[in-house]
Amino acid sequence: MRAKRIVVFLLLACLLVSTLQMAAASDWYTYSYNFWKEEVESPDAYSVTNTLFGADWEEVGNFKDPQGLFCVGDSVFVCDTGNNRIVEFIRKDGAYEFVRIIYSVNVSKNMVDALQVKGNITLTLNNPMDIFVMPMTAEQREEAFGTDYIGDPYEVQLPEKEEEPGEGNEEGTPGENGDETPEENGDEAPEENGDEVPEGGADESVGSSSEEDTDEGSDGEGSDGDGEGSDGDGEGSDGEGEGADGEGSDGNGEGSEDSAPIEYKENVIGQDLNLDYDFYIADYKNNRVLHCDYNMNVIGVIANPKDDTLSEKYEFLPGKLVVDTAFRLYVQATGINSGLMEFDKSGDFTSYVGANKVEANIVEKIWRKIQTQEQKNRTVQFVPTEYNNLSLDSKGFIYVTTHTLDDDDIWAGTATPVRKLNSMGSDILVRNGNAYPIGDLTWGTANEISGASRFIDVIAFNNDTYACLDRMRGRIFVYDFQGNMLYAFGNVGMLSGRFVFPAAMDNPDEETILVLDQRSGGITEFSMTNYGRLINKALDEYKVGKYDDSADTWKEVLKFNGNNELAYVGIGRALLRNNQYKEAMGYFKVARDEVNYSKAFRHYREEVVEQYIGYALAILAVLIIVPKVVRRVKKLRKEIREA
Amino acid sequence: MKNLFSKILRFWRGEKMANYWKTLRYSLYVILHPFDGFWDLSHEKRGSLAAANTIVIAALLTNLWDMRFASFMFNNTRWERVNILMVILGVLVPLVIWVTANWSLTTLMDGKGKLKDIYIATAYAFTPYVIIAFPMIFISNIITYEEGVFYTYFNVFALIWCVMLILAGMMMVHDYGFAKGIISSLLSVAGMAIIIFIVLLFFSLVSDAFAYFVSLFKEISFRF
Repeated sequence: MRAKRIVVFLLLACLLVSTLQMAAASDWYTYSYNFWKEEVESPDAYSVTNTLFGADWEEVGNFKDPQGLFCVGDSVFVCDTGNNRIVEFIRKDGAYEFVRIIYSVNVSKNMVDALQVKGNITLTLNNPMDIFVMPMTAEQREEAFGTDYIGDPYEVQLPEKEEEPGEGNEEGTPGENGDETPEENGDEAPEENGDEVPEGGADESVGSSSEEDTDEGSDGEGSDGDGEGSDGDGEGSDGEGEGADGEGSDGNGEGSEDSAPIEYKENVIGQDLNLDYDFYIADYKNNRVLHCDYNMNVIGVIANPKDDTLSEKYEFLPGKLVVDTAFRLYVQATGINSGLMEFDKSGDFTSYVGANKVEANIVEKIWRKIQTQEQKNRTVQFVPTEYNNLSLDSKGFIYVTTHTLDDDDIWAGTATPVRKLNSMGSDILVRNGNAYPIGDLTWGTANEISGASRFIDVIAFNNDTYACLDRMRGRIFVYDFQGNMLYAFGNVGMLSGRFVFPAAMDNPDEETILVLDQRSGGITEFSMTNYGRLINKALDEYKVGKYDDSADTWKEVLKFNGNNELAYVGIGRALLRNNQYKEAMGYFKVARDEVNYSKAFRHYREEVVEQYIGYALAILAVLIIVPKVVRRVKKLRKEIREA
Repeated sequence: MKNLFSKILRFWRGEKMANYWKTLRYSLYVILHPFDGFWDLSHEKRGSLAAANTIVIAALLTNLWDMRFASFMFNNTRWERVNILMVILGVLVPLVIWVTANWSLTTLMDGKGKLKDIYIATAYAFTPYVIIAFPMIFISNIITYEEGVFYTYFNVFALIWCVMLILAGMMMVHDYGFAKGIISSLLSVAGMAIIIFIVLLFFSLVSDAFAYFVSLFKEISFRF
């Protein structure tokens, strides 16, 4: 009796205590999500083919806090933000060759005034955050921008000291370097950290002189000091490049930074390629965007945007930028939450693009109604979120990412971490997938890593697939043009193919992705595997209308990965177009694609009804007629009998 | 063998069986004439426990079959994660708690209904669910996703009907007016929550006590 009672109670307990099942963090490097939003293993779509560190080249030395990466043609540009320089490489047969280090720009005498920063003529880069490179021949440039910028070069009055090209890698001791990396590492939450570099600078410098600005900057570094001891990881990662430490500018900057701006440095030229490129450099702490030709002759300077919405004290802090074919410049700037800043060809601010909408929900609205003015002032304002990165696709649409979003909103689909903006600035990203393109769908919690993915960069491929870089878990999510997740890969860590704190990525070609790690200062090159190629092939074939070929390719994909639900849908679609409804239904059912299943089922139902309608009508007729006849006969017999 | 068969036959044709069918058939009257029907159900003894059990079992089966056979478009059951026992208990336990809570409350609120009456009335109120949801299982397999609103609508309709019937049933069984009937039902729901809370509390206390003795035992056994 007692045993029975215990059993009943146990059952009760099992029933009433609802257990929340949290999926474990992924066990696989590459994975995708199934219909149930569970991680399922997937073959690698990309594999690591190369890992680069600045220290691989003697002239370059370790990157410090690099934040920008741009690939065009064979060239790769790395914004080595912490070292105030941009490093150019060139890919040749899969290997990377050093081209040059850009510390400063050249300017003709008639352009000098444009380069004034706080009273000084500043030719050096100060915390370059991003670079955009535009292929452009001299003729095109002349046609678009005239020849005003050409003239006698402005001579730099250098201090006594002679700068040597090799400077960069002689200064700075390993110890110094080891100290510095953890400084950036020591922050509590990864999501905040990346912003701290730019935002810290932004907050401080609004309305203050350059002195205060740098003062507080160094203050911030000091307060982070507790990260030094605790974070052994940072040191470990840096050990790889300890041989050549390139802390040149900052090494002596520590002391002198308080008063003087960064000293002028000549660019280091390894190879003179003289390519037909134009550069747009987001010179973050100099509050300007520099437009130069390949030899770093300044063509234009975009600074001091003027607009009614901007206060007098507004300090322009350009973070990331792209330039479209009409030379319109789109800048993601720190402190601007009305979208991207758009500048026209001549460098004048025209408008904001793609502003985030702020929508207070009903509860918030009611709450605000009953609050007193004082309470209202104290509550946090509903501030629209800032974008953190942008990227231009081959058709001129701008992909943007945001990371300061609420987890619940992301899950509900009301907040969109990645968007595709058209020229009107509205979001035209297709979200037809089983889940929204928000990165991870199961948010296992481990120490500091929790909550939704935080996209920090996005790249769009020519076939309208796009990849988003998640800084939270160091992952890359690739989506097709319909918003279905194709695969995700990556992780946090020190191993090859993992990231400590990814900051940017770009694709030199359609099958390669480069990911820049801000903390480890490494660049990881991923190359597409056959599996990834097959998926792309299938998508392309479907797009151009070769449905049968596409189905065959999807079948190949299934050989690699039976978990690929998109493959089942792809095959089903082809069958549907060939009027093989029943077979199509089977495939759609496997992928639990209700909409396509319904399409196939509607036709199948029609077929079945058409096939059996004759019999059905016959049976119906028989059912109606037979009793009547029987009654008639009975009646007749009765009449006969009675007669 | 022949004896057994004739026994079954006699039972089938007997008084008891006739009464069973009558009371079961009465459920159809009840759902269409709730006030009249529930009044007679308890006061004129026109319902039976056997019929009530049948309806509950039918509802359980409908629930299970709906999970198993309804089209995947309207049915997100993952059988690898389903414990049938839990599904059954998911219906039965709330039912038992409801009946208990309602009885406990209405005895204090001048309710006329006995525990048995409450159970029978509640069980009879499930009839629309069985009648509507069961055919919807078949229908779900011959409709498309866009036509799925019918499936959803009918099932929701059935549930609303059931709730109305339960309210009407409680009013009639306890001889309450409209307001009192609703209030007593709402209070019963609160009572359910309290019962669940106490059960959970009891459980955690028992497990804590158990853990205490286990650790005590362990300490002692480690020592010696």
